[in-house]
Amino acid sequence: MAGKKVTVVISQGQGKNPTKRQLEEDLAAALIMEPDCDVSIIPHLYDLTPDHTGLLFLKSIPGDLVIAAWLFPRAARWVLDRNGVKGQPGVSLLPAADDEEDAAEPEDAPADAQARALGAWDVPHRKIYCLDLRQQADYRVYRDEVRRISRECSVQTVDLMSWIQGSPQAAQLERYLHPQGANPAPAAAAEEDPVRRRWYPVIDYSRCTNCMECIDFCLFGVYGVDSVDRILVEQQDNCKKGCPACSRVCPENAIIFPEHKTAAIAGADVGTAAGLKIDLSKLFGAPSALEQAVLERDVELVADGRDAVGATVGVPKRQAHKPVTRDALDELIDGLDQLS
Amino acid sequence: MPADLVFMMGKYEARIPGDRLYAENHLWLKSQDAGPAGQSRFQVGFTAYSVRLLQDVYFLSWSLDPDSPVRHKQEIGEIESSKAVSSLYAPRDGRVLDFNAALLQDPSAINLDNYGTGWLFEFETGETLLTPPDYAALLESGWEATQRLIKGQMND
Repeated sequence: MAGKKVTVVISQGQGKNPTKRQLEEDLAAALIMEPDCDVSIIPHLYDLTPDHTGLLFLKSIPGDLVIAAWLFPRAARWVLDRNGVKGQPGVSLLPAADDEEDAAEPEDAPADAQARALGAWDVPHRKIYCLDLRQQADYRVYRDEVRRISRECSVQTVDLMSWIQGSPQAAQLERYLHPQGANPAPAAAAEEDPVRRRWYPVIDYSRCTNCMECIDFCLFGVYGVDSVDRILVEQQDNCKKGCPACSRVCPENAIIFPEHKTAAIAGADVGTAAGLKIDLSKLFGAPSALEQAVLERDVELVADGRDAVGATVGVPKRQAHKPVTRDALDELIDGLDQLS
Repeated sequence: MPADLVFMMGKYEARIPGDRLYAENHLWLKSQDAGPAGQSRFQVGFTAYSVRLLQDVYFLSWSLDPDSPVRHKQEIGEIESSKAVSSLYAPRDGRVLDFNAALLQDPSAINLDNYGTGWLFEFETGETLLTPPDYAALLESGWEATQRLIKGQMND
């Protein structure tokens, strides 16, 4: 099964940080020389509108895909999923600053806590590997990882063959691009503009239990449900820039804001936060997650000329009587809360 | 002057000077002079406990102008150190009068002299604060959760 190429897409950082640009360019230059990979560069993945050529290109890639982005892998994966670029999560063996027990397949082998989760649906057999460019400063580390992935992919001939025969991609994509009645917000008028910064939630369906707390809490109409009542981000551009309130009320920590400064909200994985700094905000007097969510929502309501509602509307209640199964990320978040 | 207290963070001795008051978010408040009726003016800084957790401070910024009224827990700034990032919050309802301008150029005084030249801002409030024994008791009760938090985030 020689000649099977893996596609590598480098998602550029926002802004013009020269260090980041250099890493992107060095990596691209190195990968062009690799016989078994096709390399492309797109603007920052999170900022792409549905009709941006970068996203159309991503959707057109049939086989295994490596995406290198300035995002947590979990965030990158679910941004892609949201945009109809689906695949099995590939396990990256990228060496972390202090090597953990891998990024150990957070969704392949769900623990008890994920047993009630919706999970991703209609996922083709191809693999998507998400590499976090913030993890290492040397492009050669990423090049070597791409080589390793490339070997891994070309070995798995059975999977690939069965997948290629089926060619489910186009039909599936069509379905995801146009889910019944609930089209992800089209890029209103911004179509020809260069990529602008965006801000919207991304749902991690490997954690989401469809509990609907987010749709209750958000008063800006960001959330909706599809034809089978699965929660989805329906009007993403209604979302208020900088406001991560729904993520704070989500009982499963399933809502990611990839650009938020708090790692847990930006999609850090349990066990892969290596090299990141500790957030001591709780220690220095940050309000509780719910208090803060309520404050953040009120600020945005007032900015819109509406009345602040405080904690009178949409605060979590559906979970009150349910037994809770927990995992390490829950522990981490609650550890923060106990410090007030 | 009341004697200083010490809180043991593992083997590290976090000193709690007896000549000032404290807030739950690990700031000290040292009385300067009486403000308007019912208000007191304080110099405010990080306790040894907070500095030990932060370690070398690289960057400090404030998100409001001097002489601004603030609510308890309102976000007022941000700090980045070798070990941590954090937002900073008002210790009580009150008024932030002025900031220590020297720290904005070079925050290293926070590490070198956190109870003296490394003060952060001047603050006016009429609310009740913690005494040194209150603060020591608070550290005692929160130490396990703090360790869990740090270990949880650092995976060690």
